[in-house]
Amino acid sequence: MGKDYILEIKEITKEFPGVKALDNVTIPVERGTIHGLVGENGAGKSTLIKVLAGIYQPDRGQVVLDGQIRHFVSPIEARQAGISVVHQEIKLAETLSVAENMFLGNLLMKGRLVDWNGMRSRARDIVRDLNMDIDVNQQVSELTVAKKQIVEIMHAINNESRVLIMDEPSAVLTDRELEVMFRIVRQLREKGITIIYISHRLEEVFDLCDNVSVLRDGQHIKTMPIDQVGRKELINMMVGREMGQEFPKEPGKIGDVILEVKNLNRGLLKDISFQVRAGEVFGISGLVGAGRTELARAILGIDKPESGEIYVRGRQVHYRTFSDAIRDGLGLIPEDRKLQGLVQIMSVRKNTTLVNMKKVIRGGIIRKNLEEPLSQEYAKKLRVSAPSMETEVQYLSGGNQQKVVIAKWLFQESEILFLDEPTRGIDVGAKAEIYRLINQMVQEGKTVIMISSEMPEILGMCDRIMIMHEGRKMGELSAEEATQEKIMAKCV
Amino acid sequence: MGAKTTEGKNGWGIFAQFTKDWMSIVGILLLIIIFSILSYIKFGAQYFLTWSNWKNILLQSATVAIVALGQSVILLTGNFDLSLGRMVCLISCVGAVLMKTHEMSPFLAVILMFLLGIALGSVNGFLTAYVGIPAFIATLGTQYVCYGTAKFLTGATPIPNMPESIGWLGRGYILNNMIPICTILMLLLYMGAQFVTTKTRIGRNLYAVGGSREAAFFSGINVKRYYFGTFVLAGILSAFGGLVLMSRLNSVAITNGQNYEFDAVIGSIIGGISLAGGKGRVIGTMFGCIFLITLFNGFSQMGVDPFIQDILKGIVLVIAITLDVLRNKKKD
Repeated sequence: MGKDYILEIKEITKEFPGVKALDNVTIPVERGTIHGLVGENGAGKSTLIKVLAGIYQPDRGQVVLDGQIRHFVSPIEARQAGISVVHQEIKLAETLSVAENMFLGNLLMKGRLVDWNGMRSRARDIVRDLNMDIDVNQQVSELTVAKKQIVEIMHAINNESRVLIMDEPSAVLTDRELEVMFRIVRQLREKGITIIYISHRLEEVFDLCDNVSVLRDGQHIKTMPIDQVGRKELINMMVGREMGQEFPKEPGKIGDVILEVKNLNRGLLKDISFQVRAGEVFGISGLVGAGRTELARAILGIDKPESGEIYVRGRQVHYRTFSDAIRDGLGLIPEDRKLQGLVQIMSVRKNTTLVNMKKVIRGGIIRKNLEEPLSQEYAKKLRVSAPSMETEVQYLSGGNQQKVVIAKWLFQESEILFLDEPTRGIDVGAKAEIYRLINQMVQEGKTVIMISSEMPEILGMCDRIMIMHEGRKMGELSAEEATQEKIMAKCV
Repeated sequence: MGAKTTEGKNGWGIFAQFTKDWMSIVGILLLIIIFSILSYIKFGAQYFLTWSNWKNILLQSATVAIVALGQSVILLTGNFDLSLGRMVCLISCVGAVLMKTHEMSPFLAVILMFLLGIALGSVNGFLTAYVGIPAFIATLGTQYVCYGTAKFLTGATPIPNMPESIGWLGRGYILNNMIPICTILMLLLYMGAQFVTTKTRIGRNLYAVGGSREAAFFSGINVKRYYFGTFVLAGILSAFGGLVLMSRLNSVAITNGQNYEFDAVIGSIIGGISLAGGKGRVIGTMFGCIFLITLFNGFSQMGVDPFIQDILKGIVLVIAITLDVLRNKKKD
C-alpha cells in the first residue's frame, strides 16, 4: 500500500430498471497519473463517469475524493469539488469567444461588473502555458473540433480541477491533432492533475496511460499498471473470452474492374483516378479533411463532379442524384451513423427495409408478411442484438446501430458499397463482427470501398490502399507492401 | 429499454395502452359523459347528447379536420404551415367573387379554387424545400399575403348567398337527413390518408423524412420533393376546406378559416402527431379535431363567454404541446 490516491471509487452500485449498470465497482485512482478506463459499449463506463460527475447518484457505495467521502447531487457540486468532464459531444457556447467559454459559469468580476480584461489575460496565460495557438477572442464556432476540445480542457484547468475525465476525446481527432492532445494531457499530469481517460483505441491507452481499469458488464475486472498487461490480454479481459484474430481478413472473389474513376475534379478533389475490382476491399486512407468523404459523394451523385469520368461495370455513368447511384447498385454507409445512417425514431424493421422497399411491396402496398420475415432474416444474419424488430434504433448500442445500417445496405443488395469510418466509436467485439461482415460481402463478390482513419484496420482489412492528402491522390499500395510508415509518409 | 410491448399485459394494461395510443377517442368519450351530465344538471334535460347537436359537431369538425389533414402531413415531415387558415379564407373569397361578382359557373370557379390552392401550396413548398427558408417564416409571409389579398378583393365585406349548386357539400345530408355529406367526405379522406401513410412507400418515406432529414437523404429519398409535395397537398386540402366552409355558411367573409392552422395543430397533437416530426397516425387528427369541436360546443351550451373560450383554446393548445413534449422526452 502506501500509494497516494486522489480518488477512490468504493463499492459503487447503480441500478436502472432491469439492468445493473454498475455492480460493486471499486477503483482506486492514483494522484497525478493518467488512468485509462476501458470496456465494451455497455460495460458501464459512461454510468461511472456520470456518477463521478454528479449526474447520477449511486444506489450504494462511495466516492472518496482526497480522503473525504463525497456525495455529489449535481454536476455543479462535482465541478466545485474539482472533478471536470470533457464529454465526447462538445458542450460549449458556440457563439461566445474562447475566453468567455473558459470562464463560463465562473465569471471573473471586478466589483459588480464583469472583468473582461482580467479574463482575457488569464485565458491567454493558460493558452500560452499549453503551447497552443488559439486566439482567446475567437468565436468558438469557428474552431476545429480538436481546438474545441482543448477549450473544454482549458475550462477545466481554469476551474482548478484536480480530476479531469476525458470521454473518448480521440474519436473525432486526426492523428496530428491527437499528438497535440496527448502532449497536453501529459503536461496536465506534470502539473499534478489526475486524468481519467476513456478510449476504444487501445494503442492510445498503451501509449498514454499509467494505469488501466477494465470494466465488463458493470463489473470491475481488474486495475493494473499498463506495463503489466499485453494488448491481447487486455482485449480478452474486456470481452471476457478469447478473441480470435483482430483483423480476420479473408480474401474475396476478385473479378473484373467494376469501378473506375478517371481524372475526377470537384472542389477540393484534384485529378483523382483509380480502379477497383469486384470482390476487393479497397481502402482510402488519409487524414480527416483529405477529401475522402468528398470523393465518395462525388462518385455517388451526391455532389456533381466538375470534370472527369466515372465508369461502373465498364459503362460510363452520370448520376444526377444519390438515388440514381443506389439504383445502379452502389451504396454508402455514412460517417455519422446516428444522424445520417438511421432514422433514430424508426424501428429496426423499418430502417432495414427503407432503401429497398420494392422487395416488400406488392401492388403498391407494403406487405407485412414479407417485411417482417425478411427484415428478421437480415437482423439475424448480422447478429443484431435488439429486444425486438419493433424496437426503435435509438435504443440500440452504437455497434448494433452500425449493424442495422449495414443490414439496410445488404438488404438493398448493393454491389459496390462505400463504408465511411465503419467502426468509429464501436467496441472491440462489434468491430470484429463488422470485419467478418466485410469478409462475407467480398466473398459473395461484392466490392467494398473502405474509408478509415484507423490505420490498423486499413492495413488489416484492405487488398489495396489509396492514400489521399488535401484532395489529391498521393499513391496506392497493395496489402503486401503497405506499412503504417509508408502510408504516413504519403499522407502528410 | 424503451421498447413498447403490448404482450403479457392484463386488462388494465391494455386499457392504459389504448388510452395512450388513442387519447383523442378517450377524450371524446369523457367529454360526452361530462357534458351530458352537466346538461341535465343545468337544464334538467339532455341537449348535449342529441343527434341534432351531434350533426352540428360533425358538420363543424369536417372543415377543420379537412384542413388539419394537410397540417398533419406537413407536421409528419417536421414542418409547419402557418398560412392554412388564411389560405382557406382567400380561396373561398376568390371563389365567391368569381361566382357572385363575375357570375362564373360554379364548376369552373371550383376548379380555379383548387388551382389556387395548388399554386399557394407550391409557393410555400418552393420557399421551404428549394429556397430553404424555415417553413415557419415562409408560411407566415404567405399568411399575410393571403389575408391582405382577401381583404382587398372583398373590401372586407361579407358576400352572402352562394350558388345553390354547391349547397349540398356543406349543408347536405344522407341517410334520412342523418349524416352530413361533408362528414362522409372527411372520413373518406382520412381513411385514404391513413392507408397511404401506413401502407405505401410514399407514407413510409414521409415518416423517414420527418424522423431524420439526413438519414432519409442518405437512404436515397428525395427529401425536397417530399417537403414540396406536403405543402401542395395542404394547399389542395385548404381549397377543399374553403369550399365546404363557404357552402356550409352559405356566405364568405374574411373571418372564414381564421385560426384554422392552430386548430389543426391542436387537433393533430391531441390525435397523436408529434411536433418534432416522424411520429403519429394521421387518422388520430380526425378524432383530435372532433374532440376540439366537441369541447367548444359543450362550452357554448354551458354558456361560457366566447371571449373566455378563446382563453381556454390557448390553454388547450399549450396543454396539447406539453403532452407532445412529455411524450417525446427520452428516458435517459
